[in-house]
Amino acid sequence: MSRPGFVLEVDERTPALLVHEGEGFGLRKLPLGSRVVYPPESLPGLRDVDAQIHRAVHHPLGRPPLPELLFAGMKLTIVFDDLSIPLPPMRTPDIRSRIIEQVLELAAAAGVDDVELIAANSLHRRMTPAELRRTVGERVYRSFFPHHLRNHDAEDRANLLEVGTTPHGEVVEINRRAAESDLIVYVNVTLTAMSGGAKSVSVGLGSYRSLKHHHNVHTLRHSRSFNDPPNSAMHHSYDRMAGVLDAHVKIFQIETTVNNDTFPSQLGFLNKREWEWSLRDQAAYLAVKRANELAPAGRRRQLWQRTVAPYGVTSVTAGAPAEVHEVTMRHVLRQQLTEVDGPADVGIFGLPYICPYNVNSIMNPILVMSLGLGYFFNLYRGQPIVRPGGVAIYYHPVRNEFHPVHHPSYIDFFEEVLAETTDPVAIEAKYEEQFATDPWYVHLYRNSYAYHGVHPLYMWYWGAHALEHLGEVIFVGGDRRTTARMGFRSASTLDDALEMAGDRVGRSPSITYLHAPPLTMADVR
Amino acid sequence: MSALYKEIRTLAAGRDWRGRSRTPRSAAPHEQPVEPKEFPTGWARTAGARVARRGLQRGLLRPLTWTTTRPEVQGKDHLDALTGPVVFVANHSSHLDTPLILGSLPDRLAKRVAVGAAADYFFDARWRAAVTALIFNAFPVERYRSRRLQSLAPRLLARGWSLLLFPEGTRSEDGWMSPLRLGAARLCVGQRVPAVPVALRGTFGAMPRGRNWPVPGRPRVVVRYGAPLLPAAEESARDFNTRLAASVARLWAEEDVGWYASLRAQARGELALPTGPAAASWRRIWESSRPVAQRRPDRVWRD
Repeated sequence: MSRPGFVLEVDERTPALLVHEGEGFGLRKLPLGSRVVYPPESLPGLRDVDAQIHRAVHHPLGRPPLPELLFAGMKLTIVFDDLSIPLPPMRTPDIRSRIIEQVLELAAAAGVDDVELIAANSLHRRMTPAELRRTVGERVYRSFFPHHLRNHDAEDRANLLEVGTTPHGEVVEINRRAAESDLIVYVNVTLTAMSGGAKSVSVGLGSYRSLKHHHNVHTLRHSRSFNDPPNSAMHHSYDRMAGVLDAHVKIFQIETTVNNDTFPSQLGFLNKREWEWSLRDQAAYLAVKRANELAPAGRRRQLWQRTVAPYGVTSVTAGAPAEVHEVTMRHVLRQQLTEVDGPADVGIFGLPYICPYNVNSIMNPILVMSLGLGYFFNLYRGQPIVRPGGVAIYYHPVRNEFHPVHHPSYIDFFEEVLAETTDPVAIEAKYEEQFATDPWYVHLYRNSYAYHGVHPLYMWYWGAHALEHLGEVIFVGGDRRTTARMGFRSASTLDDALEMAGDRVGRSPSITYLHAPPLTMADVR
Repeated sequence: MSALYKEIRTLAAGRDWRGRSRTPRSAAPHEQPVEPKEFPTGWARTAGARVARRGLQRGLLRPLTWTTTRPEVQGKDHLDALTGPVVFVANHSSHLDTPLILGSLPDRLAKRVAVGAAADYFFDARWRAAVTALIFNAFPVERYRSRRLQSLAPRLLARGWSLLLFPEGTRSEDGWMSPLRLGAARLCVGQRVPAVPVALRGTFGAMPRGRNWPVPGRPRVVVRYGAPLLPAAEESARDFNTRLAASVARLWAEEDVGWYASLRAQARGELALPTGPAAASWRRIWESSRPVAQRRPDRVWRD
């Protein structure tokens, strides 16, 4: 029986607590009285995942069983989430490959010849052949790559189709092949409460024309939080788009959720509560930390990026997107939600080495901002864990390093745009069009492995709600010049950071530390 | 190296030598308090344990007690007629009390006596429980009703064991007596067994609370047995307890005023439980720790 999440109050018995800081971690003593939000312990995974997949596709919600939807001569498109989830990547076999294999078995039995597999990478970088193979599995890869297993191309005008427009004037434009299919089977991993459901097809297969209706500063500032769909303007927009899609395409959604087994057994201590560390955990902590510090930077990154999570699958649900997503959300919240009593003056977050956009890549400063002020800050329901005008303290080295292949537009955004302004509204008004339509960025997105030109701006918008809400942002251990460029401050220790925060929150502020990863979402009452 | 040392210090802070950390209060799960299991003492009444106990009592405990103190045993004649199980009820102010009583009882009674010992004191650690059970044939007695031990006493009586109980519940703080609790009386009334009152004098002075060896100089101690009291038909436990307390009080006074004078005083209703003078605590201890004077010949007539 997994124990539920809870809020620890730091007392004199509390040992130093684990804090992630990029490609590293450490034990930090928090001030007495600080609250620490721990996620529920990892739920047990399904014992027989394949049987559950079989059950799900044969007894779907709001749709006839999948075999009844498949017929010879049909156009079938199987779409799957790209490498941005789950994080860290899942130990093989990936759940997506297991589902796709079962779907293809049924399709083969029904005599379906026209099958396409598309990675729903939206404006993310294309997945490399190796990444595709890892995600869909060897057998699928060998049968379909390269002609029928490919990445979605949001800039291939010929292969996009405007499906319609929502009552709010939002253009719904998705991948033409998918839109013209008799059936889209969407295979998803819902890692956080924001993903899956209506978002899957409309965003994953969308284009810039379509995405700009919800990926903008106004929408994100009114998504409180974007991990709480009922209160997220962004999700309201997705829902409207899903309404348009429903009238034109038939989507059979297969959603999955994973538990909180985020780190492999040799890093097992990262999954445990510190006062329960055994001697072995402590030895592993010392050994891993020391080796990590001594390793050359490149090697260290390689090791972290090779880390795979031994996730257990907690649910597989299939059917109509809306109905499926309702079940999926319950499973996600069951694993991640922890009730917290009110916001604090100061929120502390330890940012890990990975975010959705630096898998097999480098976490650049913009991504650090998006992970901290976007993803982690928005891991709440009700209200943020920091009060309005409060201070957020993040642990991350925020090095000025970029992946030149994956993130070319990020470099220009950091060097040119942020040098001028950090205000999301100003950036949106002045630079969005330019970054989104720059032919060189478009070329790199389509032919290299670059994120779309507009992506760094989206990352900045991702933190727009936090920027508006917070009085100050401090990075402990952050590179001074890089953080200053982004309009933040850096401190060398937590004590210094609290001292700096003193101007805004006084000498003895209330503190809440979101102990993640493993992912935890605060239900702040 | 210094970074590693610093890291180890951070890691080890607040952990014990086994690397275990205390659980923060807010993280400690709510647990129903677990009732400690009753220490089994049945083995201490098996034939083998009885032989061992006799050896220990006769070969070690009695010689030790009798060489470090000068016990004087009175009223043993009251025990002559006893056959079946009885309950010895004594005042209690020292760890010497039990060895003195066990050592002074006639052999036929001593080998069938079980001693009621505080469950929370003698039976809290297993080694102490085992030693106490073996040497004294002790069984746990719940004094504060904090646990719901089912008392062994009635079962022991039913199996023919006599019991030695100290109904004050604990050793005296200052050498004076405190009221007798009802347990022993209730047991006698319920099981229809006689109670033998016993008064111990001088044990507080010889080895009070806090000492684990008698004071030097072989202090004189007195063990005085009274006549067995059998609860009358229809007598309540409370009445019987009063009678029992009066007997102990008389035996106590007998040391000071002599047998006949104590009888007279009891008849006049002048004897109360010796709870000591209503004075400052040091004076109470001062009085009770006064060495017991060498016994004079009994005087029937006062001067």
